[in-house]
Amino acid sequence: MTFEALAGQTISGISLGMVWFLIAVGLSIIFGTLKVLNLAHGSLYMLGSYTCYQVTTSLAPLAGNFWLAVLLAPLVVALVGGLIEVFLLRPIYKAEMLYQYILTFALVLIIAEVCKIIWGAGYHSISVPWPFKGSVRLFGLTFPQYNLFLIVMGAVVFMGLRLLINHTSLGRIIRAVTHNREMANALGVNVPWVYTGVFMLGSWLAGLAGCLWPPMSAVTLGSDMAVVIDCFIIVVIGGLGSLSGAFLGAIILGLTTAYGVLFVPKLAVAFGFILMVIILIIRPWGLLGEPE
Amino acid sequence: MAQDRSFSSFLGIGLPAALIMVGLLAALISLPLYVGQSWVSITTEMLIMSLAACALNIMLGYTGLVSFGPAGLYAVGAYTTAIFLQKLGLSIAPSMLAAPVLAGLIGAIVGWICVRRTAVYFALLTLAFSQIIWTVIFEWYAVTGGDDGLTSLPIPDFFFNISNCYYFTLFVVGVCTFIIWKIINSPFGQTLKAIRENRNRVEFIGVNTKRYQLGAFVLSSLFLGISGSLYCVFSGSVFPNFAYWVKSADMLVICLLGGVYNFSGPLVGTLIYTLLTKIIADYTTHWHLFLGGIIIFIILVMRNGVVGTLADLWARKKQKQL
Repeated sequence: MTFEALAGQTISGISLGMVWFLIAVGLSIIFGTLKVLNLAHGSLYMLGSYTCYQVTTSLAPLAGNFWLAVLLAPLVVALVGGLIEVFLLRPIYKAEMLYQYILTFALVLIIAEVCKIIWGAGYHSISVPWPFKGSVRLFGLTFPQYNLFLIVMGAVVFMGLRLLINHTSLGRIIRAVTHNREMANALGVNVPWVYTGVFMLGSWLAGLAGCLWPPMSAVTLGSDMAVVIDCFIIVVIGGLGSLSGAFLGAIILGLTTAYGVLFVPKLAVAFGFILMVIILIIRPWGLLGEPE
Repeated sequence: MAQDRSFSSFLGIGLPAALIMVGLLAALISLPLYVGQSWVSITTEMLIMSLAACALNIMLGYTGLVSFGPAGLYAVGAYTTAIFLQKLGLSIAPSMLAAPVLAGLIGAIVGWICVRRTAVYFALLTLAFSQIIWTVIFEWYAVTGGDDGLTSLPIPDFFFNISNCYYFTLFVVGVCTFIIWKIINSPFGQTLKAIRENRNRVEFIGVNTKRYQLGAFVLSSLFLGISGSLYCVFSGSVFPNFAYWVKSADMLVICLLGGVYNFSGPLVGTLIYTLLTKIIADYTTHWHLFLGGIIIFIILVMRNGVVGTLADLWARKKQKQL
């Protein structure tokens, strides 16, 4: 085990964590505000990555085609999210949890099948975009530029969301609705629109992650459920509904996965789950969450 | 008539329901006489699935605990039988009996941790545990065969005849369903329902609700184990996807389709689900799209499932007559 390999895994673990953060934070905010656990959140990520692939290949001769896709694809996903919230989730907020789960599960089936019909069952790849193709030397070690870009991106989104939620009037409204829906409603907040907005924001973030991660892996079917289960682990570790919790949880899971692959590759998949179970037993509300 | 009444009171159901049940049983027993082998095989599969769904519904409908991981315990049952048969070389009887024992034991451990939390966390925990079971099965190549599963198991010749297998399954599923029915209608079952309706109140009158929830969890695991074991004997092989979340989702959808607040919900749900998937799969390869659409339709339009909606209609009609 060389120091270099360890450093490399650390960087790739954190950058993976940053992408997970983008998805998990949406899941977490949506749960905090709407009280709906969105099983289809991974599907929104997957939809984002297919849309990004489509835009990137359609605009292939154009320079910066990937970055145009990064602008466009998350908006498409946010729009789809908005439609889902208005037409499907709104009628069932008062219903039992079971029905909300199963409804979002039905969306998982539908989105996966639609992606399969449009883009086929095979793998698609998006190449690492200009200007991050190379690598950087830092402290005598070499790191891929794109990984560093992902880390910066995750940190920027984290700071941006903190600013939005804690220091703007819009954020205050979101916090008010999260805290007490009836009271906020009585004080004149248009709760349904806040719900739609929050769901669209979460979808937009999932779509963004869907654009940013494929250059490191691939666009495939099945990424929806893999991603959403990882995000469940993250929000449980960090605390459901907590912004900083999602950030911390994502980094922890990213590093656990990266080191797990290095040391005990066979059990790497189970590490996250074991971590989650331990946290649920000793601190059920998550590291940065609040007790019920 | 008098005999009928005592029979229906023994079952704890009204006369019409008892008659429907006797009719259904007669139809099931005589089934191999008038349908082809492929339908006998499909019906066997349906019976096994309906037992699994019924077992899940002990938690879902009667205790109000939403489990996302029933497939994990179902797979424990299936793999127990398969491993006992193939790796330990035991005969069929101990291999099948070990399934509910082991599934119940693992269910007790998993349940002990899961019932500490409620609502969303309970659901997430059960999902996590079923994924752990899936991972263990997937990675523990020496014992479980990993990705390849365990195939060509030494199942006794008796079960190679599809009607033998069918009658055996019918017998086991029948007995198990009857036992579940009796449990649900016992004081224990009534307490579970009370916990579903209002956990705090039940706690106030001095009931240890967690212990009851754990009881429901273990019972459910036990019967899931039996249905897994039956499927292992029926198909002669086991695969890791038995424990995968898709299987759990299938079971949840079946319960929902039939209706979770009726005992017969999961049974009817299995019938509808199996027929739907067979029919839709004949027309299109994109049957997930239709399945998703149907689920959304049910949730938005008839939330109590087919049985629940019919029961509501029946009750309303009766009220009008009065």
